[in-house]
Amino acid sequence: MNTPAMHTVNLVKIYQTGGLPVPAVRGIDLRVERGEFVAIMGPSGSGKSTLIHMLGGLDTRTSGEIWVEGKRADTLNESAWAILRRQKIGFVFQFFNLVDNMTVADNVELPALLGGASPKHARERREYLLCELNLTDKADAAPAQLSGGEQQRVALARALANQPQVLLADEPTGNLDSRNTRDVLRLLGEVHRQGQTIVMVTHDARVAGLADRVVTLLDGQIIDDGAIAPTRRRPKGGAGDVVELRG
Amino acid sequence: MNTAEWRWVRADLRARRVQALLTVLAVAGIVTALITAATLLEDGTNPWRGLFTRGNGAHVWLHTKDAPDPATLKALDGVTDVAGPYRSAPATLVQGGKKTPVALWEMAAVLPAVGRPVVREGRWLDPEDLGGVVVERSFARAVGLRPGGSFSVIGLNGATHALRVIGLAESGDQGFYPEWTPGLAWTLAGTLDQVEPALGRSESVTGLRLADPDDTSLVVQRTITELAGQVQRVSTWREVQASMELDNRLLGVLLALFGVAGLVAAALAIANATGGRVLTQRRDIATLKSLGFTRRQVVRMLVAEHGALGLGGIAAGVLCGRLITAYALAETVVVPLSSAPLLAIAFGTALVVLVAVWLPAWRGGRTPPIPAAPVAPPRGHLSRMARLALLVRLPPALVLGARDAFTRRLPALLTTFGVAIPMMMITIGLGCWATLDAFKSNPEQVGQAAALTVRPGSLTAGDANRLALADPDVVAAFPGTEVDALVPGQTRTVRTRALGTVTDPYPFSVVEGRLFRDRGEAVAGQGLLDLLHVRIGDRTRLTIGGTPLIVRIVGRVLEPEQDGEVLSVPLDTLAPKDALPPQYYSLALRKGGDPAAVRSRLQAQGLEVSQAVNPADRLSVIRVIIVALVAVLALLGLANLLTASAVGLRDHALDLAVLKAMGLTPRQVMATLVTGTGLLVVLGVGAGAATGALVSAGLIDLQGAASGIGAGIGRSPAPATLLVAVLTAIGAALLVALIPARKAARARVPVTSR
Amino acid sequence: MRLQLLALLSKEPAHGYELKQALEQIFGTAYPSPNIGQIYVTLGRLEKDGLVRSVDVEQSNRPNKKVYYCTAEGREALDEWVDSATEGPRVRDEFFMKLVLAPMTGIADRMTLINRQRRHYLAIMRDLVELAQQTDQDNRPAHLLIEGAMLHLQADLDWLERCQEDLL
Repeated sequence: MNTPAMHTVNLVKIYQTGGLPVPAVRGIDLRVERGEFVAIMGPSGSGKSTLIHMLGGLDTRTSGEIWVEGKRADTLNESAWAILRRQKIGFVFQFFNLVDNMTVADNVELPALLGGASPKHARERREYLLCELNLTDKADAAPAQLSGGEQQRVALARALANQPQVLLADEPTGNLDSRNTRDVLRLLGEVHRQGQTIVMVTHDARVAGLADRVVTLLDGQIIDDGAIAPTRRRPKGGAGDVVELRG
Repeated sequence: MNTAEWRWVRADLRARRVQALLTVLAVAGIVTALITAATLLEDGTNPWRGLFTRGNGAHVWLHTKDAPDPATLKALDGVTDVAGPYRSAPATLVQGGKKTPVALWEMAAVLPAVGRPVVREGRWLDPEDLGGVVVERSFARAVGLRPGGSFSVIGLNGATHALRVIGLAESGDQGFYPEWTPGLAWTLAGTLDQVEPALGRSESVTGLRLADPDDTSLVVQRTITELAGQVQRVSTWREVQASMELDNRLLGVLLALFGVAGLVAAALAIANATGGRVLTQRRDIATLKSLGFTRRQVVRMLVAEHGALGLGGIAAGVLCGRLITAYALAETVVVPLSSAPLLAIAFGTALVVLVAVWLPAWRGGRTPPIPAAPVAPPRGHLSRMARLALLVRLPPALVLGARDAFTRRLPALLTTFGVAIPMMMITIGLGCWATLDAFKSNPEQVGQAAALTVRPGSLTAGDANRLALADPDVVAAFPGTEVDALVPGQTRTVRTRALGTVTDPYPFSVVEGRLFRDRGEAVAGQGLLDLLHVRIGDRTRLTIGGTPLIVRIVGRVLEPEQDGEVLSVPLDTLAPKDALPPQYYSLALRKGGDPAAVRSRLQAQGLEVSQAVNPADRLSVIRVIIVALVAVLALLGLANLLTASAVGLRDHALDLAVLKAMGLTPRQVMATLVTGTGLLVVLGVGAGAATGALVSAGLIDLQGAASGIGAGIGRSPAPATLLVAVLTAIGAALLVALIPARKAARARVPVTSR
Repeated sequence: MRLQLLALLSKEPAHGYELKQALEQIFGTAYPSPNIGQIYVTLGRLEKDGLVRSVDVEQSNRPNKKVYYCTAEGREALDEWVDSATEGPRVRDEFFMKLVLAPMTGIADRMTLINRQRRHYLAIMRDLVELAQQTDQDNRPAHLLIEGAMLHLQADLDWLERCQEDLL
């Protein structure tokens, strides 16, 4: 049987707020196949960010299991998680979180260098990625000089620098305008077509529409999990059909 | 370290060059100050090293009847060079009616390569000037000779020769007078021939410079064997060094205190800089961790970055300290600091720096790896202080500033401490200064009521007393005798000073217990109490000149002499055979009387007069250290403050926009920011000054007790001085806080979502 | 289509085929291509209401063509249309009916209804994204239209979420 890229068993997270236990995630069983693009949706406070943080080992689970490529990961300590992250997981955040002091090029090279790649190899990989994302001329710029969309593209390049098995993204377009969202969407679509496994928390239906599968959380539980079936009537002509679609 | 870690460290350093430079400079300043202070201290307390090095001294001096063959001596194993042999003859120096034994050394007009006297004043011997001699400086001081002055010597044959002082010199080959007798004067061979024509009455001195000073005793033995019975006397560098070494315990303790102060200040500067930086970097650190940096890597990076700055500062400081002592202080300091204290300073600072860096780095390493939520500054409720400010209807800027000051507890605490500790150290420094001033201006309060001591010399004791009292500036004369007493169970003797009488006691400065009121009672210095393990009220048995004596110690006095190991009794306690006639009279002068003037007047009348050495004179090097340390500490405080305001401004970027939107004028915004920092500064400076004032007297007393003088010397800085210091500190701090505040208030701050 | 044609005519007089061409040129693929017959029917109605008037223009070697122009009344009607605010969109009441009525009759679970509806909306969204990618980048009206559709869809999805939360 095919090992999934990632799966969880009865994953639970309970925060202690002022002595009171507040459950954020209440028993989630999620299976992400290799090459699959899974969108996680749900209203704010439904536990989707907590879930993706736990999947990346950024937050500890209260109980349950997390498996990455058939290996149990929830029992790892902080350092082991860090090493797992640098080898197998790329993370993209809502607020880009580029290291301000470093140039775009350094930001993108950092994970490769961290993973033990030679500076030459890291540079080649960075050049390739920035070229793919159309950012070659920004390589020596400081992150603060870039627009939000450009920053997020750099963050994406950074997350992909080590060719991770899984790309985790937490509201990657949550802080972008529609034009920048479109750019990032196109990129995500492309890397997915190249076989990248993606798990993404989003509130944006445009982003979720790209996914193979949408998982909907409500109050820390999965209430819906399924593929998006094609519409019965595919638009043939052009934008004019939109008006018809909307009736 | 990983390439990724290097990259990050490099990028971070590049992003904050000025701050990094400040950190390096702060540490370098402290290390420089410590090294300079230690060098000065070492040189001040151990002048032998400097003199010996500068004069290329000989380790061993042989006194022989006839001149030995220098070639034979030079051929000895372990001997690298030979000085002399020189002819030396005893004579009597007569000056102002007083006779003092003196040794005349023959020396050439060209200074020799080995065992060279170091000319301090005037010039060296001149072949044209047969009547000119160079006198050893400590001896010249003791007998009151100056360059250009003249004196006469009486040779063993009774003939008197008039000689002139053309220069004063010091030598590392002989100890200082009067610890080392007889006094020394260098003359040309011709002059010596005139004073002492008979070769048989002179001796020959030869210096040996050794390859390894530790071989001294071995070489001495070999030489004695080699010269087979000719050697009359040998002196080695160890004896000279020992005779020159001052009591340096007090200085040592003081330096240790300053060292600790410097280290604490260094630790604080580094911890503040690192802590502040890490605080503003939490998001970046979280991002790094989310990329797969482990906690250990983060800690390692931070320690490497900030530790490197500190170690760089130490290296720069060591270099600077060496350069300063080598060039700026070339006149006073000859030999660089010996390696033990240098290594102690370097490694001590390094250790402190690493610990100070490690703590915030460890905190940084614990940052959770979720950077998504930007850290919002805690806001909302007014602090108690701010509510109070509102209650008394202060302007809004002050209220807001007061609120700001305490919203972030940890940085507020760090800032306050960062200002308080240097301020405390400065206050302690001022206390030391005040103590020195007290020594200087009120010597009677530190056990030096008598500025002069008169010895009858050729006169009778009664005449001496009468002559001394006749001087208009002399208020009282106390007869005194010093004897060595044997104490049972002690291998050494104890100096017993019988001074004043029961009815007319010497004004000792009694700090504990009371002064003796009866025979059989005594007072003692702290050193003696420690030495004999006795307390006030205990009885002690002594043997003086074979006569047993039992005294009860009734008080502790401040005792600046002999490390405080002195027992003082009234003269009438001693048996008459020991007490009479008194050896000397201690003279108390009229307030404002000039001891030097009185001394020369009395000397003119044939009295032997010596002037008491004020401990403050010996400690004057401390003043240099105090000034240097105050400067460094002040700089440190300001550096801490700059870091604090940088962190504060970053935190306040959003608040500033809101404040402006609320309608505060730039001036009010500035006032708010300055109030925020200023309150913490006032708090820190106040706390630091108060603590310093409270502990300074105690600390100095502690040092006093350790050095034998005894507790009771400590003075707190004068209130006026303290006030000026506090106001200066606050003023400077506000000025420093004003610069970034002004910039921030003027800048357009966009309301950004962070 | 009345007022679109009226607006075009207020710019300059034109005949039916010219109007069709103008509409296609302005909206491009963003709007369903108009039927020429429908245009003539609409013009006839406008003329009957007195908003436009037509003149026959003689053409050599061709039948006469009818050129329409806007009347003062037509102009007034146009002003009124432009000046008045357009009604907002209505909530899709069909799905709401299902949501409210289905559980009563025990036909379906509301959660299931919402989930199915969401997936459907997401599928539509995916089509829209694809459509936007296929559409010529320079066609601004078309992209505006697609974006409008996306935003409406996003609002519908948010509303579904709201319904689901309410059901909990």
